[in-house]
Amino acid sequence: MTSKNSFWASSKENHKRRIWVWIVAFITQLMLYVGVVTVYLSRIRAWNAEGSYKTAKAYQEALYQAARDALAFQDNLMLPLIILAAIIGIQGFSYLYDRKKVDLYHSVPVDKNWRFAVVYVNGIIIYLTSTLISLLIGVITAAIQHAVNCEVMAAIGLGFIWNLLFFMVVYHTSILAVMLTGNRFVTLCVGGMFIVYEQMAYVLAESMMYSFFDTVSGFYVTHEPKLSAIYDYSMNTWEFKQVEEVRMLAKELLPYYGKWFILAVVILAAAWLCYRKRPSEAAGRAIAFIRIEPFVKIAAAVPLGIGLGMWVHSAAYNDAVLTAVSMIGAGAIACAAIEVIYDFDIKSLFKHLISSGIAVAGILFIFVVFKMDLTGYDDYLPAADDLESIAVNVDYYGQFWDKDYNYVGASDFSEEHMYLHDVEPLLALADKARGENVEDMTDARGINVLYRLNSGRKVGRRFWVDFDNPGNEELLNRIMGTQEFKEGSFQFMTDQDSFEAVTSMVYSNGATTSALPAQDALMLREAYIKDMERFDFSMVINNRPCGRISVHFPNWFSMTLDVYDDFENTIAYLQSKEAFYPVELNPEDIADITITHYHNELLEEGNDDGVQSIVDTVNAEEAWAVDTSYTYEGVPAIPATFTEEEQFAEIVPYIYPEFLSTAWNHTYELDSDYDIYVTFKKDTTYPYDRSQFGVYYRFYTGQVPEFVVEATAIDAEFMEEAAAGNAGEE
Amino acid sequence: MIEIHNLTKTYEKIRAVDEVSVTIKDNTVFGLIGTNGAGKSTVLRMVSGVLRPDSGTVAIDNMPVYDNVEAKKRLFFIADEPYFFANSNAQTMERYYNGVYEEFNSEEFYKYLENFNLDKRRKIGTFSKGMRKQLALLLGICSHTKYLLCDETFDGLDPVMRQGIKSIFAKEMEERGMTPVIASHNLRELEDICDHVGLLHKGGVLLSKDLEDMKCNIQKVQCVFATMEDEMKALSGMDVIKKEQRGSLRTLTVRGTREEVTARFATVDTVFYEVLPLSLEEIFISETEVVGYDIKKLILG
Repeated sequence: MTSKNSFWASSKENHKRRIWVWIVAFITQLMLYVGVVTVYLSRIRAWNAEGSYKTAKAYQEALYQAARDALAFQDNLMLPLIILAAIIGIQGFSYLYDRKKVDLYHSVPVDKNWRFAVVYVNGIIIYLTSTLISLLIGVITAAIQHAVNCEVMAAIGLGFIWNLLFFMVVYHTSILAVMLTGNRFVTLCVGGMFIVYEQMAYVLAESMMYSFFDTVSGFYVTHEPKLSAIYDYSMNTWEFKQVEEVRMLAKELLPYYGKWFILAVVILAAAWLCYRKRPSEAAGRAIAFIRIEPFVKIAAAVPLGIGLGMWVHSAAYNDAVLTAVSMIGAGAIACAAIEVIYDFDIKSLFKHLISSGIAVAGILFIFVVFKMDLTGYDDYLPAADDLESIAVNVDYYGQFWDKDYNYVGASDFSEEHMYLHDVEPLLALADKARGENVEDMTDARGINVLYRLNSGRKVGRRFWVDFDNPGNEELLNRIMGTQEFKEGSFQFMTDQDSFEAVTSMVYSNGATTSALPAQDALMLREAYIKDMERFDFSMVINNRPCGRISVHFPNWFSMTLDVYDDFENTIAYLQSKEAFYPVELNPEDIADITITHYHNELLEEGNDDGVQSIVDTVNAEEAWAVDTSYTYEGVPAIPATFTEEEQFAEIVPYIYPEFLSTAWNHTYELDSDYDIYVTFKKDTTYPYDRSQFGVYYRFYTGQVPEFVVEATAIDAEFMEEAAAGNAGEE
Repeated sequence: MIEIHNLTKTYEKIRAVDEVSVTIKDNTVFGLIGTNGAGKSTVLRMVSGVLRPDSGTVAIDNMPVYDNVEAKKRLFFIADEPYFFANSNAQTMERYYNGVYEEFNSEEFYKYLENFNLDKRRKIGTFSKGMRKQLALLLGICSHTKYLLCDETFDGLDPVMRQGIKSIFAKEMEERGMTPVIASHNLRELEDICDHVGLLHKGGVLLSKDLEDMKCNIQKVQCVFATMEDEMKALSGMDVIKKEQRGSLRTLTVRGTREEVTARFATVDTVFYEVLPLSLEEIFISETEVVGYDIKKLILG
């Protein structure tokens, strides 16, 4: 038997008034766990019945994954968890909203802290009981269908803690919101504000930075909320579902567990402090503490004003005046609306004009700081002496992975592996970029840079460099020719282990394809690294690969090694395997070449409407004998097929396989207005890849043979007819 | 004893209670009278520990009451609109208070419920306003706290119920020294219950006196003096609060005991004199007029 004032007696008494919350919690959790696991598993069974799984093992793995997806890290959980935490938190302490209830609860001889503890713990009990029972039923349901093993159970355990801590952060936030407010509507507003505020601030700041600054880069240094549990939850749940190894999963979860636990404790402490200080007469008032009313108003009005202003900014094509006016107007309206909510009286619209003025001034100040770049964001250029090192990405994005064959982003790889200590060339390029207009560049490339300062701070920026400007060549060579750059850009430079696990290798020049023995991977790597000593900006910009080696690794990872004419060690290896063939085709081997001319010049001439109207008016298929599937945005595409060897001989010196295009070379060097499709004879001098019907090529810009131009030209007579027909219709 | 000293409470910019000082002695029925907005509820909510005073102190048996469980164990507060749990009945409320107040007497509670014809299983939501007040009073009485703070609790109670509650009060006061504190805006409701009355007006205490003292020390005399000299002689040395004249009939309100007044009038030649008892209303009218207030406007309406 429990004594009158025991915790459990008090708890039981409190639960009697929370029965509907129990019901809501149970229904929600049962649907989320038992319902979802049932649906997921039945889906897997149905797919299996259709023969989607080739082996019993694959089916079993799918069952395990479905159980994990439903019971451990479920995509659908976040919103219901937030709503449940808010309901439990607000309902538990909602007596504080009502004067009659406050008169009862605060006059009876029950310690305030005790009451807080009872209501708080009861909320946790409601969540835990409903979750654990639902999870248990869910696990039994999965176990009956053979979808549970030790690893799934461990993942469910880790997922349970993940969800519990997330629930606690939101639950505590809801309690804090109750303590600061006096009615449910304002509690929901303030609670919602707490939950999304940091994320909202980041979104707004980022939006303003990208709108008003030129050198913003999220490549290396990303601005993301540090304390937002919602952000963490939404960004990571899906990722955690993919982690198969439990130990790895636990390792990844641990920092979030720690962060959320501390966050939950801090918020709970703040809520308890507010509870202690909260006056009983706050019941029914909008904000419990009159002194914080202006701060809440300013804190809400500023992002609201900026948010609306930025929306107008994008809608009104960057009109600064309209943006500023919208921001100020929205901020002022928000202040007035908040005053009305505070007093529940429309006559309060213009109350407390000083705090409204501060909010509006704050909005204007923030706008001016960003618009005028008062912080000197775009002018930022660290002194060479202040830099420890630099990492840089010159418009190149490969595929990277770690030793466990998990995906690694290009920025993360570069940040981890590139430490350029000769910072002068990069600083010189960045300095030049400050005075240049990207619109004036003929081959503008975005360069992402990470400045590692001696202080330990990291600063990310992006600026534009003209690859066509000879003045930049030497500086780019001093960056790209360094060993540090190569090691931070190409995984093969440092990752010998992966080459020991190569699954296959293939060499191709676009037309011929040869398999290379996987056991040669280390030897090939060694040869290629030797050849990479020639690699710098001048080399990659002035040369085109003559072939490409695709190297395949476990877990579907792969990398490509471009082979250049000067890569003598690599070519020697390829020749030893009889895999190397010239990139220029032998005309004798060609069966036919079909060239399609897209006539993009019609678009470039700036009369899109005219071209569209011609095409709309004329039946292109009938008049020009053109397959309309070749048209793009209404521009006629004219194909021509060539079958004579003499024609082939005139074409092949000027074409280059599309397959070998690289990001380094100038994009305008290959003519994108022509598609060249080459098919080969049955008996050829070179062993062309028979797995495909033909190979796509491109002309070097300005080197299209005259007979090709003529054969793919638009019929001038018909153009006139088309124009006349169009005019007649008008 | 409840000691209220310089108690002040301000809601936003409105001063609801302004330096109120009152002492409520044990085993008396204390009436707190005042108009709407006079500060009665605020005083009672501070005395019950619901509100924290801005300044001043409230001590229950020498213990500060705010946030003090020991002090709160000695009081039961019945608000002007008592709260009962949603969908609850008398039994539900009994169980709650039984868990909260150590000396709650359930047996007595159910006995009183029967006596007052209140169904313990009927939902309180279906009770009339008067029935809810009876229930709140019974819960308060059966909690066996020393102090029972009632805010406008007697409003709406029919005379039979009032009489019933009065007799329970008398019994509890006699048996365990219960001290009811009753706030009301209606002076007539307190007249037959209270031993001591405090008059609140605009947040301050206009007067606070024992009813018996007030009744014993103020007399109404109707008389006809034989001569003007007799009248002068009789009135000299007497504290005359009010004097009315209709022809030769004088109606005087004077301070002093009945004996003192009778003795005074015996020394002069009167055609007729009679010492009459004053109603509480008349006493208040007299007392407040002395300090410049017209109580008819304040309370009697």
